[in-house]
Amino acid sequence: MRITLTVNGRDHALDVEPRRVLADVLREDCRLTGTHLGCEQGVCGACTVLVDGEAVRSCLLLAVQCDGRAIRTVEGLAGPDGTPHPLQRAFSAEHALQCGFCTPGFLMLAAGALESDPAIAADPERVRALVGSNLCRCTGYEPIHRAILRAASE
Amino acid sequence: MPHGYARREDERLLTGRGRFVADIEAPGCLEAAFVRSAVAHGELREVTCAPALEAPGVLGAWSAADLPGLPSPGLPASGPPDEPVLLTTLTSAEAVAGREWPSLVTERVRYAGEAVAVVVGEDRYRAEDGAARVGVRVDPLPAMVTAAAALRGPALFDGLSNVALEGSAGAPIDEAVWRRAAVVVEACYRQQLLLPTPMECRAFLAVPRGQELTVWCSHQMPHRLRRELSGILGWPAGRIRVVAPDCGGAFGSKSATFPEYVVVAYLAAMLGRPVRWIEDRLESQLVATRGRGQDQRVRLAADADGRLLAYELTIDADVGAYPHLGAGLPMQTAKMATGPYTTPLVHATVRSVLTNTMMTYPYRGAGRPEAATALERTMEELARRLGMDPAELRRRNLIPPGRFPYDTPTGRRYDSGDYAAALALALRTLDYDRWRAERDRRRADPDAPPLGIGLSCYVERSGGEPGGLHEFGGVEACPDGTVVARCGSASTGQSHETTFSALVADTLGLDPALVRLIEGDTGEVADGMGSFASRTAQIGGAALRRAAETLVEQARLRAATLWELPVDQVLWSAGTLRPARGVAPTLGLGELVRATGPLRVDERCTSGMAFPFGTHAAVVEVDVDLGAVRVLRLVAVDDCGVALNPAAVHGQALGSAVQGIGQALYEGVPYDDDGAPLLPNGLLDYLLPTFAEVPPIEIASTSTPSPVTPLGAKGAGESGCIGTPAAVVNAVADALRVADPGLLRMPLTPDVVWRAARAPKAGDDR
Repeated sequence: MRITLTVNGRDHALDVEPRRVLADVLREDCRLTGTHLGCEQGVCGACTVLVDGEAVRSCLLLAVQCDGRAIRTVEGLAGPDGTPHPLQRAFSAEHALQCGFCTPGFLMLAAGALESDPAIAADPERVRALVGSNLCRCTGYEPIHRAILRAASE
Repeated sequence: MPHGYARREDERLLTGRGRFVADIEAPGCLEAAFVRSAVAHGELREVTCAPALEAPGVLGAWSAADLPGLPSPGLPASGPPDEPVLLTTLTSAEAVAGREWPSLVTERVRYAGEAVAVVVGEDRYRAEDGAARVGVRVDPLPAMVTAAAALRGPALFDGLSNVALEGSAGAPIDEAVWRRAAVVVEACYRQQLLLPTPMECRAFLAVPRGQELTVWCSHQMPHRLRRELSGILGWPAGRIRVVAPDCGGAFGSKSATFPEYVVVAYLAAMLGRPVRWIEDRLESQLVATRGRGQDQRVRLAADADGRLLAYELTIDADVGAYPHLGAGLPMQTAKMATGPYTTPLVHATVRSVLTNTMMTYPYRGAGRPEAATALERTMEELARRLGMDPAELRRRNLIPPGRFPYDTPTGRRYDSGDYAAALALALRTLDYDRWRAERDRRRADPDAPPLGIGLSCYVERSGGEPGGLHEFGGVEACPDGTVVARCGSASTGQSHETTFSALVADTLGLDPALVRLIEGDTGEVADGMGSFASRTAQIGGAALRRAAETLVEQARLRAATLWELPVDQVLWSAGTLRPARGVAPTLGLGELVRATGPLRVDERCTSGMAFPFGTHAAVVEVDVDLGAVRVLRLVAVDDCGVALNPAAVHGQALGSAVQGIGQALYEGVPYDDDGAPLLPNGLLDYLLPTFAEVPPIEIASTSTPSPVTPLGAKGAGESGCIGTPAAVVNAVADALRVADPGLLRMPLTPDVVWRAARAPKAGDDR
């Protein structure tokens, strides 16, 4: 099936099997391997990307469902000149990553939340719920929590 | 750092430019999917691969019978005679003898998920299409899921015992000791099976080129993998290059050579095409290695003043279906059974029992959590029986600082420590007395949810075992003035690039930006052990420091020759050489190399075994109606000697503490009676802690340098898995005052806690 995905502002005209999930198409067809697969059942959130600004588990969405939609992945987070996104700076500063495998998912999750509602940072419960929606096995989460608050305050 | 990133690793990992195995593009790469037995134990009667070949995009499907040349994983390889034995204690030749672990099942299935066939396709979808069409017929045999069942049951390997390995540490204790003691606590514990669960599952890509094979693998020990693949495939090691690129966590589970790796490497060579296997989560939960898995019985004797007299630990470990991976690991528990106390008599015995489950293998802590948890749970009970403050009971028995090096009854020589200082800091950080007052207040109030405080003092071992306490480190000065450092380890998330670049730069007096670390590539690093046993800072760091120091000496010698001066007239500072007197110009490292040729130092450094230690303390509140445990506070005081990178150590302590909470409260692999793991819904059944389960955690440290390691460093990173579980369970025991400590079986699910809350109470109120 022919589809067009607009990924990080660039159009990708693709011919994909309807059964292929978005994460596989981003990784294999668009060669954007920053989106990682941790469970393929929608639990861990490592594959989180933004579709029309909304955070989704790209392992649970078919690529064909995203035809014509705007997708943002971790590769599109920094500015065009490579200037880091506030979340990228904050994650580093707070040691919010160790192995880095879950990190793109947390970044996109937080980017989606902060961009759609910057007021979220003022609501501790919502920020806690946000951090609690993805899995990380290295950091113990608190550094991720601090990083999101830090980025939000910039 | 570019753009002000805190770690070297961060820029690529934060921008999607990390390079994990599944990210590597190998043109023409095929994908492997394994057909796995749903039956845990049975005779394999038939495998029908032909239908798989009818699925579009499937290039091949094979059972063991179709691949007569397919070799099997053997014993973890020791090196050639001139190289020290690699992993001396994980298993033994005797345990493995006569118990072949086939790469694909030949006659008998011994664990659920064991691979009976492999299918390769153009992509994972097609490979799985093919795998779904493969017919498998297994005639079931009764499954033996527990050690107790396997001790009674039929032989897993005809003619051989189900006990793969027996051992002991310490001398047997005279029965009179128990008879005469004022108090003897007896208890039984279960150290449940855990899934290490790195966020990246296993991943293996084999790329053949001519007579050579490049393997990309998410792995902790690339040189071991090369050595073992070479031995198994019968290829000279020089024809195999192993690269361990970015790794999405390992926690001990990624250091072996698994059957899937052998199959994929074999097929890649046979087909002359790249083949990869990217394990998915369901597959990982079925057949990745498990941690822990011990049934324990303990006896602990003390006099009326709470002085420990004797401790006995009896372990039946359910090590899984084949003894190849971790049959010897429970001996680590036996050797560490003494813990941090002066107990004069300690005896620990181990039986490693083969069962119809996937095998156990090191998982963060690896034998030491099992030792610490058994002892510390029992100390809690002893304090209750004596009517003594658990902190005071420990204080009376901790090995005092003046007694190091301390030879334990179980054969360890502890290098250094101030165990009481760590305990005192933990109590102070927690505000122990305030929480005890709150606990007592709640005990007097029938409407208040019970609260409990739990302590856990631990001592661990870092570096590895004798024969494996070495690591490779090399430093090379480049003509452009930069420096390349090479380390035989492989980072799985522990900030090696940041830490070791800074260490080498510091030794040379250079800007860290001028130093680049290369590791995880047998093509670039001559030799190596890898990342396990919390060893890399302790031993790899020492090798790099020494290599850098030797490089300075060699640079001075060269400059002395160049300037026709005695070497003591050549000074080195901040990466620059200059004569002690006179006006001759200074010479940078790069200029020296340009003038005198390549300058490179390779070192292999050996360290002693080190013994990090600490005290963890937890406060919990229990909802007795729901059986829910709420951790209100956790304090972790760890001592890893000299910390090379305190931020990294802090991160490791925090992350491992959360894994320790996971073992105490949430994680475990239940099996049904037929030997199938009861995790049909993946990570919805195997509950990793999320942020919602993380309590306020305070990490603190003391620092007692090790006298037996060159940098004074001890291992860091496993403390939480070792110290935290018993602290949490002891806190629940304190809250509920359960008479039988064995009732609080980990994980403390609501079901376990609800029942324990209704069980007979201990009488005493200390």
